[in-house]
Amino acid sequence: MFGSYRLQRLPSSHAGIALAARVAAIVIALLVAGIGIALAGMNPLNLGARVITASFGSAFGMEDLGVLIIPLILTGLAVAVAQQVGAWNIGAEGQFYAGAFAATAIGLFVPGEGPLILMLMFVAGMAGGAAWILVPTLARAYANVNELITTLLLNFVATLLVYYVSTGPWRDRSGMANSATPPLSTDVPSFWGIVHWGFPIAIGLAVLVAAVLAFSRWGYEVRLVGSNPSAAKYAGIPVRKHLIAVMLLSGGIAGIAGMLEIAGTVHRLQGGISNNFGYLGIMVAVLARGSPIGVIFSGALMALILNSGIILQTQGLTTSIVLAITGFILFLTAIGDELSYYRITREKA
Amino acid sequence: MSMNSIRNLSRRGFLNMSAAAGSSLLLPQGILSSALAAGPLPAVAEEEAVIGFGHVGPITDEGWTWSHHQGLLAVKEAFPKLKTTLEVENVPYSADATRTYRQFVSEGANMIFDTSSTGDFLHQVVKRAPEVAFMECNGHALMDNLGWYYLAHWYPTYVMGVAAGHLSKTGQLGYVASFPVASVYASTNAFLMGARTVNPDATLQTIVINSWFDPQAATQAGTALIDNGCDFLFGIMDEAGYLQVAEKRGVWAAMWNTDIRRYGPNAYVSSVIIDFKDFYVDQVGKRLAGTWTPGEHILPMGGGVDRDKWGQNVPEEVGKAADEVREKILGGWSPFVGELKDKDGKVRVEAGQKMTELELYNWDWSVDGVSGLES
Repeated sequence: MFGSYRLQRLPSSHAGIALAARVAAIVIALLVAGIGIALAGMNPLNLGARVITASFGSAFGMEDLGVLIIPLILTGLAVAVAQQVGAWNIGAEGQFYAGAFAATAIGLFVPGEGPLILMLMFVAGMAGGAAWILVPTLARAYANVNELITTLLLNFVATLLVYYVSTGPWRDRSGMANSATPPLSTDVPSFWGIVHWGFPIAIGLAVLVAAVLAFSRWGYEVRLVGSNPSAAKYAGIPVRKHLIAVMLLSGGIAGIAGMLEIAGTVHRLQGGISNNFGYLGIMVAVLARGSPIGVIFSGALMALILNSGIILQTQGLTTSIVLAITGFILFLTAIGDELSYYRITREKA
Repeated sequence: MSMNSIRNLSRRGFLNMSAAAGSSLLLPQGILSSALAAGPLPAVAEEEAVIGFGHVGPITDEGWTWSHHQGLLAVKEAFPKLKTTLEVENVPYSADATRTYRQFVSEGANMIFDTSSTGDFLHQVVKRAPEVAFMECNGHALMDNLGWYYLAHWYPTYVMGVAAGHLSKTGQLGYVASFPVASVYASTNAFLMGARTVNPDATLQTIVINSWFDPQAATQAGTALIDNGCDFLFGIMDEAGYLQVAEKRGVWAAMWNTDIRRYGPNAYVSSVIIDFKDFYVDQVGKRLAGTWTPGEHILPMGGGVDRDKWGQNVPEEVGKAADEVREKILGGWSPFVGELKDKDGKVRVEAGQKMTELELYNWDWSVDGVSGLES
């Protein structure tokens, strides 16, 4: 009598179900985490209340979220944009570093300060990120080399390059900083506490990219290339040209993330500045289902999760537990996403 | 930090000064200078006080972070009524450090110890929280509410270098380094200078692994150094990784932080043993009493840092020869006297000139014979 139910896969997922699956994933993950915390002898409700008051109850907490959200939106946007043309940019981490590196070069070696230098740093950051994805892009466009591997491998090169210059030739010799360059002469100004203008820039870029993709002919063609390259080619769309342009844009956006992190938040180039933002950007994009507007919200969620991690650590939870909770939420979300393609039907007897 | 705010005193001098300043003789802390213009922060009742510790690694590392955690336990024992102590492990050297310390402030911390110089990431918080006392281990900045503390590790390191000079047959010493920073320059230089008093041809190869806690990278670096012909390993790691390599490969190793000879009983020579307990209790006591002022503290050999008991395979006469040097240093003698040349042959310390504690603390060049550190 139970055999009459069956799972049916739908050609496209239902947006409402996908959203519900996301909410369910977060709730289930928090419940499981709560049970784990209770078993460890702590009160999960107190901790939860603590996280909420610390995140939203004080200017300090809100500022922290505001700063954390900037690189997450941008690296998420970088990955999401590449997805639009059917490419996986796993190299946002490396492009982030390359952008930070290029912006630092301007900040350290071009004399002067003020808006002009800031503009130069912005352009350099974008160019640095784009340059870092150039070879994987051309390899994909002309030789069909899988960009998943090439972009990923270049992450390690960029990370080590930044370690090298910041502990070697560019290191601060004043004795005031360990293994970092001297502070940059120019900063992205703050407008609220520690929150700097990278915040509106990140949101503005996401909106701009979303608008161009949704409303321009170019955007339409890019989306067509992403969803069906053969059809796009048949329709006379320059597939290769669009692929190259979008992948370079993706790298450039990740480079801007690196530039803003350096010039707005960290102020010195050093190893480890990325905090894995490049990899987290993949999560942000997946959570947003590749939507450039969606990354604003999934970036905010990710910022909240990461910041909660820091709050929970001061409450005595170890980093590993916090990471496990984060991973669990994403894991359940991925399952929920896949499940949103299915529906349960009951066959008539 | 203006250099004028620092009085360069001889080691003996500042010990006398701290004694004269009324510091307990049980706490022989080297106070280089203290007190900026601002007065001390107001007293805090013990029941109200919140003390925070941010660590670079896990407290289970049996090394650096474990030792600082012991300091926190000592504070809790000395002040059992403290409202809360906050402790975060694995604070990264990134903007996440700023977030962690901001969170400490939000939690109402009255005093915060950063046990691994997070520099600007900490200082951003220091400036925003003038009512909180901050202490940065291996820090370099002094502000109205920020002081720093470290250890004169170069003395026990020099002593262990003397032992290495006796023990190494090839004269090729290896060093697993974290970053090319001042503490690493002081450590490598002191170690080789000690070894060269016995074997003037000794050299020190350094491998930088960009981390204080990365057992896998430290193990690989140790292996590479031995493959290069080194038969004595030293380093500045928070854990015991390369000691196990040395044990397996049958070479000597000297360590940092704690007695971890059980990971390599045959290879173990000694450790730079550290103990911050008395210092932390003293600092927290002052904060509670309302007498804390931001100071610069280098704990001297015998008062927070020393060499460990010699390893089981270290011949008695080697230990004795090294300990004679240790006694001389405890008596006020310094091995760090010119003429000292850097690796390019340039004279950096003139003949007869004695390096001050602050110069040793801020060492930023390699002596002749040390390779692998960018300068």
